[in-house]
Amino acid sequence: MRHWPLVLIGFLAIAAWPLAVQDVFLQRIGALVLLAAISASAWNLLGGYAGQVSVGHAVYFGTGAYASLVVYTQLGWPPIAGVPLGMLVSMAIAALVGTPTFRLRGHYFSMATIAAAELFRILAANWPLLGAAVGLMGPPVPRTVWDLSFISPLPYHYLFLAVLTVLLAATWQMQRSRMGYYLAAIRGGDRAARSLGVPVLRYKVYALLLSAAFTSVAGSLYAVMVGFIDPDSALGILISVKMVIVAALGGAGSLFGPLVGAIILIPLEETTNAMFGGGGTGITFIVYGAIILLIARFQPGGVAALLESLTNRGSRRAP
Amino acid sequence: MLLEASAIVKAFGAFRAVDGADLTVREGEIVGLIGPNGAGKSTFFNCLAGDAQPTAGTIRFQGQDVTNATPEAHARLGMARTFQVPVTFEDMTVLQNVMVGAFLRHPHRTGARRKALEVLAFTGLSGMADSPARSLGTPGRKRLEIARALATEPRLLLLDEALAGLTPAEVRLAIELVRRIKNSGITIVIVEHIMEVILSLAERAIVFHQGKVIAAGPPRQVVDDPAVVAAYLGHHMKRVRM
Repeated sequence: MRHWPLVLIGFLAIAAWPLAVQDVFLQRIGALVLLAAISASAWNLLGGYAGQVSVGHAVYFGTGAYASLVVYTQLGWPPIAGVPLGMLVSMAIAALVGTPTFRLRGHYFSMATIAAAELFRILAANWPLLGAAVGLMGPPVPRTVWDLSFISPLPYHYLFLAVLTVLLAATWQMQRSRMGYYLAAIRGGDRAARSLGVPVLRYKVYALLLSAAFTSVAGSLYAVMVGFIDPDSALGILISVKMVIVAALGGAGSLFGPLVGAIILIPLEETTNAMFGGGGTGITFIVYGAIILLIARFQPGGVAALLESLTNRGSRRAP
Repeated sequence: MLLEASAIVKAFGAFRAVDGADLTVREGEIVGLIGPNGAGKSTFFNCLAGDAQPTAGTIRFQGQDVTNATPEAHARLGMARTFQVPVTFEDMTVLQNVMVGAFLRHPHRTGARRKALEVLAFTGLSGMADSPARSLGTPGRKRLEIARALATEPRLLLLDEALAGLTPAEVRLAIELVRRIKNSGITIVIVEHIMEVILSLAERAIVFHQGKVIAAGPPRQVVDDPAVVAAYLGHHMKRVRM
């Protein structure tokens, strides 16, 4: 990879961010950027690399979030202990939902994922174990350090950075292996891929399982940091849409695309929320809509492709 | 016998696109499948490749029944194909496209890469290895599809109009490539509607008309067959009337 120096500089800059800025609001934005980058990078495994645009990944995010707080409310364990549970349940749901939805293609696949996700949101909103419509709370005051309940965003920043680093390293390995090539072939066209011996359905399921497991981790981390979830904040369609937008904005199917997308979108979203007050969902939808239009119209490859074409200008044209 | 298809029927509703066609292919030969447009060649071809399942009939490849096997199973067993309209993986480079095929027999990256480079050299695409596939024109894409198929190390290669849409000079290059593939020990079935290609390449020609095989034998002999002449001329006369 020819961008290693750039990657190293980027990593150091992100690591230094909460120390460089003393303002808690800015520190918190840093942690949220990393969290959004984790979930969008997880989505990217299926939506970007394999080209199967899921708009229902909130299911896996919500499963992770609920798993964290359920182990606390039911067993009294620290929420972070819910991570493996969330991953397992998410993978089970993925196997259950994935096999039938992968029979559909293109927009039909995306619509089926929305439907499945909404089903789980309604289920959670009516299930007392999950706090029904009210939701679940984490530990109000930290009992031990394992509750990972901090006032400062700093510890979260480094926790998220560590998880993101592991995820991107795994993705990079995947991308270079047979699986990476097979997923790219599937994105290029099922029929041609199958003619070359690619077991298309099996690889789509692999990508979904991997993607669901990491998305679940993102959900667990969100619940650990925020300490409160309800069906909308953990399983709402906006969660799914945000993953798609962050990844597409930065560049779906590229390693650092989702991170780039998060760096652009999250500060924008947080400042508009702060400026216009409240949950800011109204203005958020408008921003998302505008971004979808702009990406679709001008740069389907996202910012990553834009940067790529700028750095390669002149050297690209081969005879 | 490398490939044996017998009494293949492919029906779409009441319409029988392929209506009881037989084909046998011996190891090491080039068989041409010809016939006017709409004769059912491509449908038959898709049945052979596992892309479509025949309504009736059986297909055996190396003695194994593959009638209802998936396309990926066909590839694993040693049957590779190209498409009439090339389906290259646009986002990938030429080398990466070929590596997808090579990964079938070489699960590791270095092995797949070595195999892919070898195939690129064989097909004369080495110079383009790192160009994006989308930068290729039609002849390049057709060649890339052949390279990708060869990277799966097939025993039988099915070419679906691999030469259609090429200029005469490009056709000559493509014919030369097909000959080299045959000389490397790969059996070839080629679908074409350009007679000249079949005459210069195939050792045996099978003529399709309205879903049936109406003639089979050495190409020179087949083109003089009155039934074949009628099928082609009838086709032309219909076009003239329109």
